[in-house]
Amino acid sequence: MTGTTQRAEKELSSDYRAAATPLERELALMWRAYLKVEPVGVDDDFFELGGHSLLAADLLVATERAVGVHVPATTLYLQPTIAELAEAIEQLRAEEVGT
Amino acid sequence: MRLTRPDRDPPPSTVDAAVDAAGDADLADPMVYADGDPHAVWYRLRRTDPVSWRRTGDRPGYWSVTRYADVDRVLRDHRSFTSTRGTFLNVLGRPDPASGRQLAATDPPRHTVMRSPLQQALSIRSTADQEAVIRKQVRAVLVPAAHSGWMDVAALMTGLPVAVLGTVMGLPEADWPQLTRLAMMAVAPHEPRWQLPKGPDATLQRAHRALFAYFQDQAHDRAGNPGSDLMSALLGLQVDGHADPGAVVANCYSLMVGAATWPHAATVALVELAASGRYAQWAARPDLLDPLVEEAFRWASPANHFLRHTTTAVELGGVGLPAGAPVVVWLGSANRDEAVFADPYTFDPTRWPNRHLAFGSGPHNCLGAPLARRMIRVVFEEVFALVADLAPAGEPSHLASNFVAGYGCAPVTVEVRESALAKAGRDG
Repeated sequence: MTGTTQRAEKELSSDYRAAATPLERELALMWRAYLKVEPVGVDDDFFELGGHSLLAADLLVATERAVGVHVPATTLYLQPTIAELAEAIEQLRAEEVGT
Repeated sequence: MRLTRPDRDPPPSTVDAAVDAAGDADLADPMVYADGDPHAVWYRLRRTDPVSWRRTGDRPGYWSVTRYADVDRVLRDHRSFTSTRGTFLNVLGRPDPASGRQLAATDPPRHTVMRSPLQQALSIRSTADQEAVIRKQVRAVLVPAAHSGWMDVAALMTGLPVAVLGTVMGLPEADWPQLTRLAMMAVAPHEPRWQLPKGPDATLQRAHRALFAYFQDQAHDRAGNPGSDLMSALLGLQVDGHADPGAVVANCYSLMVGAATWPHAATVALVELAASGRYAQWAARPDLLDPLVEEAFRWASPANHFLRHTTTAVELGGVGLPAGAPVVVWLGSANRDEAVFADPYTFDPTRWPNRHLAFGSGPHNCLGAPLARRMIRVVFEEVFALVADLAPAGEPSHLASNFVAGYGCAPVTVEVRESALAKAGRDG
């Protein structure tokens, strides 16, 4: 990808952990496209990767379209990792099935 | 911020603030507004160094603009002074992610297209319907406080902007206290009363993200049913003809933090009337409400500064600025400029015309100004109707912020009108 930064060049407080589930892999691809960083680990902080609030707003809307559930915005803004986001989405999907 | 009279007072002797190379307190430092004397610095700069390069320590430097005519020019001349590289000191030295998507950080002509629906929703006519709601909110906080005989005017006003804007946007009332706290954290993250234990940066970050998240969830919930003209205009915001979720929440955010500056106009004006012993005199003059509201905004200048960047080499006030240079205009200084205002250090509720720059000027002048004026006017009307006299009950404290100029705490004693006491007795 052009204009993409290597993860190693970012100052991150997390160690790299690769996406393990299909959902995490899907989210990691989206984050890579929006943030133009690769690879993206599931414990990496969206804002440390270079994300900002406006980008978070765009990414959230795109995420909802992709995963089919409404993700409360606080999830991404206040728990900004793929692991946490994926967990919230799994939970929301389970709740939808349950109702 | 201390509202001193440097044309007659000696400067306070206990200023302990960062000092720039020219020996002035660094006006980019939020703490200067808590314990320093910005008006004394501006007074000197307007005379001797009206457009000057300021740099303190390892902070990024900027051109400081203090005279009315130069401030007005910078705000109007968007071709020479762009907003797209950030509009406040806290983004100085890094790119503004809101560039071109948040109204404040966008230049005409794109700005004009984005602004017009919001401007319509916030016009004098559109906000007239809100007056009864504003009045109800003002009474709800004012009446119990006044009857106790003592009130902190600053604390009393803190919740009003969110109540007013929340009403116009149709935000649930249960959310207002939390939104107020977040808005205050965002505009004054250095202020001890709002700061989180992790410090000012963490406070601003938390408030910023929580407000964005809040507005994003509101935008989602109201997608098909905005519930108010303003929300409808906000949700309809487009950038270059495309829906833009980031622009929607960024503009909700900037309306909210802008509104958080408004109540300081009423607070400092009421404290000034109390301290000068002229409260009772002006409270009996409803015919002077319009000039009083304008003088309150001039006197307080609650929005403290704006940032622009030169697009080209440009001359300002006889000083040559290079292209790409950051330029900070100080509204409080422009509004004390002797060249424009007779006796600028006198609070004069009869001053008219009063062409203050408290709402900025040019294409970015405050979108919420009609609503802000209405709110402050209602505050005066309600206070004057209920309160016979006000007297200071201690020195005000000053907000640690370079974004909003105002009091943190402003205690006064209150003498309620006998007519109001009798009514309370009947109702009670």
